[in-house]
Amino acid sequence: MNWFIIFITSSVGKKLVMAFTGLCFVLFIIVHLFGNLTIFLGKESFLSYVEDLHRSHKYLIPLAEVFLLIFGLLHIVFGLVLYIQNLKARPISYNLRKNAGGRTVGSGTMPYTGLFLLIFISLHLVRFRFVEKITQNDFTILINTFNNLGYVIFYILAMVALGLHLSHGIWSSFQTFGVNHPKYNGLIEKGGILLSILFAVGFASIPIYIFTKLS
Amino acid sequence: MSLNPSIPSGPLEAKWTKYCSEIKLVSPANKRKFEIIVVGTGLAGASASAALAELGYNVKTFCIQDSPRRAHSIAAQGGINAAKNYQGDGDSIWRLFYDTIKGGDFRAREANVYRLAELSVKIIDHCVAQGVPFAREYGGLLANRSFGGALVSRTFYARGQTGQQLLLGAYSAMLRQVKAGRVSLFPRREVLDIVLVKGQARGIVARNLVTGELESYAAHAVVLATGGYGNIYFLSTNGMNSNVSASFRAYKRGAFFGNPCFVQIHPTCIPVSGHYQSKLTLMSESLRNDGRVWVPKDPKDKRRPEDIPESDRDYFLERLYPSYGNLVPRDVASRATKAICDQGRGVGPTGYAVYLDLSDAIKRDGKEVIEKKYGNLFEMYERITGVSPYVSPMMIYPAVHYVMGGLWVDYNLMTTIKGLFSLGEANFSDHGANRLGASALMQGLADGYFIIPYTIGGYLASDSFPPVSPSQGEFEDSKKEVSEFIRRLLSVKGRRTVTDFHRSLGSIMWEYAGMERSDEGLRKAKGMVEELREEYWQNLLLTGGEREFNQNLSKALRVADYLEFAGLIIEDALTRRESCGCHFNVAYQTPEHEPLRDDQNCAYVAAWEYGGKERPPILHKEPLVFENVTPGIRSYK
Amino acid sequence: MNGTINLTLKVWRQPGPGQKGKFEIYQAKDINIHMSFLEMLDVVNEELILSGKDPIAFDHDCREGICGMCGAVVNGKAHGPKKGTTLCQLHMRHFRDGDTIVIEPFRSKAFPIIRDLVVDRSAFDEIIIAGGYISVNTGSAPDANSIPVPPQNAELAMDAAACIGCGACVAQCPNGSAMLFVASKVSHLALLPQGRPEAAKRVLSMTGRMKELGFGNCGNERECEAVCPKQISISHIARLNREFLKAGLFSRET
Ligand SMILES: Cc1cc2nc3c(=O)[nH]c(=O)nc-3n(C[C@H](O)[C@H](O)[C@H](O)COP(=O)(O)OP(=O)(O)OC[C@H]3O[C@@H](n4cnc5c(N)ncnc54)[C@H](O)[C@@H]3O)c2cc1C
Ligand code: HEM
Ligand code: FES
Repeated sequence: MNWFIIFITSSVGKKLVMAFTGLCFVLFIIVHLFGNLTIFLGKESFLSYVEDLHRSHKYLIPLAEVFLLIFGLLHIVFGLVLYIQNLKARPISYNLRKNAGGRTVGSGTMPYTGLFLLIFISLHLVRFRFVEKITQNDFTILINTFNNLGYVIFYILAMVALGLHLSHGIWSSFQTFGVNHPKYNGLIEKGGILLSILFAVGFASIPIYIFTKLS
Repeated sequence: MSLNPSIPSGPLEAKWTKYCSEIKLVSPANKRKFEIIVVGTGLAGASASAALAELGYNVKTFCIQDSPRRAHSIAAQGGINAAKNYQGDGDSIWRLFYDTIKGGDFRAREANVYRLAELSVKIIDHCVAQGVPFAREYGGLLANRSFGGALVSRTFYARGQTGQQLLLGAYSAMLRQVKAGRVSLFPRREVLDIVLVKGQARGIVARNLVTGELESYAAHAVVLATGGYGNIYFLSTNGMNSNVSASFRAYKRGAFFGNPCFVQIHPTCIPVSGHYQSKLTLMSESLRNDGRVWVPKDPKDKRRPEDIPESDRDYFLERLYPSYGNLVPRDVASRATKAICDQGRGVGPTGYAVYLDLSDAIKRDGKEVIEKKYGNLFEMYERITGVSPYVSPMMIYPAVHYVMGGLWVDYNLMTTIKGLFSLGEANFSDHGANRLGASALMQGLADGYFIIPYTIGGYLASDSFPPVSPSQGEFEDSKKEVSEFIRRLLSVKGRRTVTDFHRSLGSIMWEYAGMERSDEGLRKAKGMVEELREEYWQNLLLTGGEREFNQNLSKALRVADYLEFAGLIIEDALTRRESCGCHFNVAYQTPEHEPLRDDQNCAYVAAWEYGGKERPPILHKEPLVFENVTPGIRSYK
Repeated sequence: MNGTINLTLKVWRQPGPGQKGKFEIYQAKDINIHMSFLEMLDVVNEELILSGKDPIAFDHDCREGICGMCGAVVNGKAHGPKKGTTLCQLHMRHFRDGDTIVIEPFRSKAFPIIRDLVVDRSAFDEIIIAGGYISVNTGSAPDANSIPVPPQNAELAMDAAACIGCGACVAQCPNGSAMLFVASKVSHLALLPQGRPEAAKRVLSMTGRMKELGFGNCGNERECEAVCPKQISISHIARLNREFLKAGLFSRET
């Protein structure tokens, strides 16, 4: 077998793929968040941001999308493989199981928050990406979507899931890459959690804002 | 049968080198054709398996535990001696040799001990190369500490886990040979007989502890490295699976047993806390480097130890032995402690304990330094007793720890059965009547890494070996005997449990054949053990069957052997008409209650031959000749 | 500080490998609080034997917390409630009168049950066989002081080497992974100059073998570290990960 395939399909290799793709998503959603937050500056700013983005980065955007798609698939497939392998490693579970102090809500729910995010992302893409944009623009789509209380709640829940997923995911990726040193462990752990909260709050603020103020 | 220790001629310093250059070698191509069985995976067994396989022999290795890494060598805390003289404090091979001979109260063979001291140096080199993480100085060179019975600093250590690290080194070297296809592992096997074919040891019968089945294995030579039998005393610092069975079966097949009564009692163990106690825990001797042993001057002083002022404390070891103080050898420290407690001056709820106090050292060096040196020992103490040694001094009391006695072996480490070798604590050792701290690890590894690979070759190259198969008559007979023995035990169907019997045996032995012995007590013990043994075969209660995982049955087999073997210990103690090292017979003592040796009549190794069923054992004496040292009075004053 | 307590034990009993097992309830009466957990089981076993029943099988040897032979999941935690402690060193003073204690064997696909609380951990030996050593033949080593080792590295190596191979990390890991065990050996040897020549090969073959043996994958959940009786830190797993990256991408080993 090709050395690279062996490398990435090994136990640690799969984790490296998870961590790498996961961190790429994190970078992506940082940009995504900043962009989306322009909504708070008003309709014009938001639309000009969207337009600017697509005009000035004509090639970059599709390229990024391709990569996100590949990484997304990798993240999902590897995540599922890991999940199944891990279930198999303990065929009979304990009658009484307690956390010994390492596990967190975030770390214990990775596959579930992940799957929830998968559903969310699919709907999200159907709603905002693969949608006709001739009779409506991004702003109107946004307003129409978040006029719906159900969608707002779903969106908020998804952002909670994102926060949870990343509350473990960010720190975990660094650990997977071997970045662990008493000098900066605190920074990574706290930074990871802070970032997850910012993501959750930042993204969730948009539907709330729209639902309460703009509709 | 005559006893020939096969010591090479020539000056002491040159014996081993000469031996190695003259010994017959097995050609590399032939080594592949030889099978060797190694029983035991402690330092001795694991190192032997690794070294023999590296040479090209096919090795089958057996142990009781689920993994070879769990042999009781893992529990050694303090360290391993080597005459490296890295500290430049005047150490040398000669000095290590002399300290060991003297520490053993001049009851060991000069040639063996010298070889041990000589090889000590290579052990450290090899272990460092294997990745044993010994403690180091700031500059990155190896650190040393001092240990009882020596005035130089020659003990290498890996925190308080030296045995563990050395064993993991040997274990991984052995597993490397498993990968190379030259060692096959047989864990969870208990060896219950040695099979002789035409006078040569050619195999074993072992019980598979998972299925309960008896299995036979054939080979060209058998190496027993099965550790010590200290837990015949029930309470000891030995592992729960320690036993004498393999050695004892070998004894019954014709191997002589050397000095069975030489049992070492370690001065610094955590005292017994109740009837349920299953074993005792050692607090490393290294603590005596910085710790001071004391009791209150007034036995009625019921203040907390930390509240008792300096002036009201009796630092009895420093008082009795001003030059070595708290660093006197183990036997001396143990007896002094026992004497103090017997006078009613002991402390703690039972009165059978004394204080081991590190508060002066903490004051002198700071808590951090002490924590670095002994942190894990302190933690262990606190875990067991619930008391922190940083706040209150530890309480300690002596406990059975090590046996110098074992299968008699010659210079080649071969027993009186041809082709049956014995290594490590299982052989009657190089430690004479008392072992110095940090010397057992050294001996186990010297035997396994550096001696047996040579001597076994000498044997294999000079004898002839008709082919044998594990299904032939001798093996089948032995299997039948063992299975008969097991069935008999299972059929007793009495009312007392094995543990109960073991506990009774232990208390008889501790009382009468322990730290202090008397002819009268020993005779009494002999009768008591006999009675207990009779009761055992009439009143033992076992559950479960033979062909299953049955821990109680395994234990019952070991206790059955112990009950017989106890008689040999007592017999040996009775016949040695002197006190020496750990063997202290009250009839032979100086006015200061130190052991009184009799070099005229007792400078011998007692080698016991099995006399047959219900017949007394036969004593053979190997005279000890001292050409290079003069046995002196072992004074630590 | 003296005293006795009464306990109810709910213990997994299974007659043999692959056979059906179930929980049995036992009363442990008048348990001295200074007993160790295993001594408490001894007391219960003595009673069982006297009433003609099979005692509870459990592995043990040193009873000092160093051989790594003992271990069970006690009230949901490998080696029980006290941190940094093996089952044999867990003392009954950490329980209260009237407590119910649930005792289960270590559960992992790679550790099949032999009987009751006894499991087969030979998979750990298999992992070491795959490369947990330095290849040096007896007698060929240079003088021990010829290569200085920075004491900080020696200390870190010792932290990792303290692993007793008990399997608690696997038992507690929600994924049944053996990463802490593997990492402790990889890290121990990687930290020493003597271990460097084989570092790349070692990390790849040991982690590979871990996977083959049916252990799960590390999820960085730190449960292993939390129950490790020797408190081995997951920073050693990070070191393994670094070694793995280096070996996988920049060495000639696969
Ligand atoms: C608590 C403690 C601390 C110590 N500290 C030190 C120290 O600091 N320095 C020092 O030098 N010495 C120390 N010693 C002594 C030293 O550890 C032992 O003497 C030495 O390790 C014995 O090694 P061994 O290889 O001979 O036997 P062990 O390590 O006891 O191994 C015996 C092996 O034989 C196997 N076995 C036994 N019987 C059978 C059978 N019937 N069938 C199959 N297999 C069998 C066992 O499974 C095991 O693998 C200490 C001892 C103890 C108990
Ligand atoms: C599409 C749906 C997703 C699924 C099914 C999913 C699933 C998973 C799973 C199961 C893990 C744990 C792997 C393990 O530790 O064994 C994981 C880890 C991770 N995920 Fe996701 N995830 C998804 C989306 C995302 C998103 C959107 C992000 C980032 C914005 C993300 C970032 C991460 C990170 C950083 C990790 C940590 C990797 C590591 O532990 O080294 N994931 N994911
Ligand atoms: S019995 Fe050895 S660690 Fe518990």
